[in-house]
Amino acid sequence: MYAVWLFHSVSMIKDVLEKSGKKVVLLGNEAVARGAVEAGIGVVASYPGTPSSEVPITLSAIAKKCNFFFEYSTNEKVAFETAAGAAWSGVRALTTMKHFGLNVASDSVSPVAYAGVKGGFVVMVVDDPYGWSSAQSEQDTRHYARMVKMPVIEPSNPQECLDLTKLSFDLSEEFEIPFFLRTTTKVSHSIGTVKLGKIKKPKTKGKFIKDPSRYYSLRPNLQELHKKIDAKLKNIEKKYGLKLNKIFEGKGKIGVIASGVSYEYAREIFNLLGINPPLAKLTLTYPTPENIIKKFIKDKTTVLVLEELDPIIENEVRALAKDANSKLIIHGKDFLPTYGEYNVATLMPVFEKLFKKSYGFDFAKHKKKTDLSIKGVPFRNPLFCPGCSHRSIFYAVKKVYGEKTIFAGDIGCYVLGIFEPFKMQDFVVSMGASLGISHGISRVSDQEIVVFIGDSTFFHAGMPALANLKFNDGKTPLVVIMDNSFTSMTGHQPNPGTGITAMGEIVTPISIEEVVTAMGAEVRVVNAFNQKQMTDALNELRKMDGLRVLITKGECRLVTKRKLRSRGLSFTTFYIDQEKCTKCGICTDKFSCPAIRTKKVGKETVYYIEPHFCWGCSVCLQICPHGAIKANTKAVKK
Amino acid sequence: MFDLMLTGVGGEGVLTAGTILARAAQNEGNFVRGVQLHGLAQRGGSIPTFVRYGKKIHSPAITPANANLIIAFEPLEALRATYYANRKKTIFILNNWPHVPINSNIAKVPYPDINEIKKRIMPFAKNVLVFETHKLSLEKFGTSILGNTMLIGAAIGCGALPLKERTVRDAIKSTISRQLDSNLTAFDIGVKMGRESKF
Ligand SMILES: Cc1ncc(C[n+]2csc(CCOP(=O)(O)OP(=O)(O)O)c2C)c(N)n1
Ligand code: SF4
Repeated sequence: MYAVWLFHSVSMIKDVLEKSGKKVVLLGNEAVARGAVEAGIGVVASYPGTPSSEVPITLSAIAKKCNFFFEYSTNEKVAFETAAGAAWSGVRALTTMKHFGLNVASDSVSPVAYAGVKGGFVVMVVDDPYGWSSAQSEQDTRHYARMVKMPVIEPSNPQECLDLTKLSFDLSEEFEIPFFLRTTTKVSHSIGTVKLGKIKKPKTKGKFIKDPSRYYSLRPNLQELHKKIDAKLKNIEKKYGLKLNKIFEGKGKIGVIASGVSYEYAREIFNLLGINPPLAKLTLTYPTPENIIKKFIKDKTTVLVLEELDPIIENEVRALAKDANSKLIIHGKDFLPTYGEYNVATLMPVFEKLFKKSYGFDFAKHKKKTDLSIKGVPFRNPLFCPGCSHRSIFYAVKKVYGEKTIFAGDIGCYVLGIFEPFKMQDFVVSMGASLGISHGISRVSDQEIVVFIGDSTFFHAGMPALANLKFNDGKTPLVVIMDNSFTSMTGHQPNPGTGITAMGEIVTPISIEEVVTAMGAEVRVVNAFNQKQMTDALNELRKMDGLRVLITKGECRLVTKRKLRSRGLSFTTFYIDQEKCTKCGICTDKFSCPAIRTKKVGKETVYYIEPHFCWGCSVCLQICPHGAIKANTKAVKK
Repeated sequence: MFDLMLTGVGGEGVLTAGTILARAAQNEGNFVRGVQLHGLAQRGGSIPTFVRYGKKIHSPAITPANANLIIAFEPLEALRATYYANRKKTIFILNNWPHVPINSNIAKVPYPDINEIKKRIMPFAKNVLVFETHKLSLEKFGTSILGNTMLIGAAIGCGALPLKERTVRDAIKSTISRQLDSNLTAFDIGVKMGRESKF
């Protein structure tokens, strides 16, 4: 049943386990998961993060069936270390994370890379140009790879996600070095037809063999290890640089060098413009594919380098061109931005100019026209789910604290509190930073501060920061731990407070209340769906000094919904009594539950509740000042 | 090659619809490519989804102004999709039952009426077909959500979506586990609506 709570509706998990040789449509991330299974993966440890989350979601769902071990670790550093330990013991291991996850893991990455591995170790990192996820910057993982000296493989589409994941494990084992599998949102979140390969029986048992020359990454080993890793990189380029990166011959002296999803855009544009220039597709993008680049640029007059984010390959081409072809004209970031995503529309003008061909359609002009057509219509901002406990909490906190208070934000579904109608996140930095930054502010200012932090974020990075608040006590902010029992934003993964592991084992949850009590905080625990309980506790805590924590308990409503549904049950829903409704608009404008909607009946606006979207939290009933919201006696089937 | 765009409100079944149609296209032997824009938008925001199928396709996203068909489960979201549309070839199929965004009330920006929406879409469309699917679903099933499967049915029935009724039906069966019977009934109603439309 656990699976029922977990699966996102679009999951194609059935397809992930189809027979070898079959063609199915998979999400890039699902294809990575299948690739890992085909590689005989033994251990997977992850902390979720969009746009990487579907890899662990898929793998956790099939771990039992396929006989490998899966865990959601408390954060990316722990996940990385868990996978590294398994790989050191000769078992194939995978860890996955979003780009920010690598910042958290980074402390351990370099030493493990130096030491190398026995079992294949793949570190999948998904970058997020444009920031589709709750991303706080557009950092480019390829810089990291160069810093920690780990090879990088970059798929362009779901088929390659599968094939190259498998290959990464082989290469990692062959060269005894961990590999980065780096994708971007448009690779990980795109779907495509994928031909499946054979599933390998996993090896899940290994043995750690002591080897101080390798695992003590201290002086004097350090320089030896450094020498070794450099040699490994050289050998990888020598053996595979020309094999994995490909040159497609074409017409003319102007060439295109592309990697990742940019390769797909280049192909698309070749078709749209009817051109066929020489193309170098880079797949093993680090160690720098010197040989193929030199070979490719030797006889060209001009190359266009296509890579999203920073001009890393472009700069490497520039350096190589000094010897290989000093007259080469190199284009890339002179025409294209280092920010955001590429797409056919942004790339087209560059191709038109270089290849002197016209597509005959002006995307920018078209955009202006279509923008005009949507002028003056209401914007649709993202909202909390119907019945979400976070909405109820923000509502109560605003009622007690007003709007002048500083609201420190953190990462989770509650980040949606940024938008209307609450606007209650004055800054969002990184996981756990709500506490650290607030502490800094409170050391120099008397302004009142309320911190919002979720349960998963608390376990991930909040605990050291809370200890610091206590340790370096000043006038501390009020800390609200929004405990909805799950890591919700990324797809409802369990965390140490949930009481169940990713493999479905029931475990004793770690009590956040006991943890913060042990840290010396004044704690109140309230029901997040009870407005009165919350406002009473807030009023009480507000008057106190020292470290104060309000723990709001309210299970993620989407999980509750799925649980009920899996048992064939449904919520008691609510309706608006039209006789009592004064059309004050509080339920829509100040509370903004997506189930509460308006429609025009003649000239009149009527407020109503869409039964399918009412998830029965009952909070609207508590906040309607006119008693117009009432429970349906008959439960509506969902 | 067929470029299909689906759009609607996050959390209201757009991704499921995309999955159904991608599976159907795959089962008819196509090469499928596409992209679903999730992330923050998952909860309540606008959520465009692309499904492209044919022989061999590269870009996961549709080239702007190139959609063959745009199916909009929410009328205002259809209007927001015009960047992908073109009067020479794009057919719009939309449901006329609005989900008024909260912002309309808060910022006092009125929700345009369906004729206004249609009027604004027209310069970017070869044809705009409006179906009363979600209203009918609300009346018949007590919820508007089945309007999605109904609208897909209408797209098949009227011939604007070149996939077979049977493969789409099968894909619904393999994708939807809840209220499957109602979904299939809704789909059949939609197919009939499509057939009877003037398209
Ligand atoms: C370092 C890092 N890892 C992962 C993420 C992705 N991420 C964003 S929100 C979130 C979940 C937070 O869960 P929780 O704090 O419990 O809040 P909820 O979503 O349940 O409200 C995660 C893991 C991130 N932004 N940064
Ligand atoms: S997924 Fe859960 S926590 Fe997130 S908005 Fe929905 S109900 Fe709230």
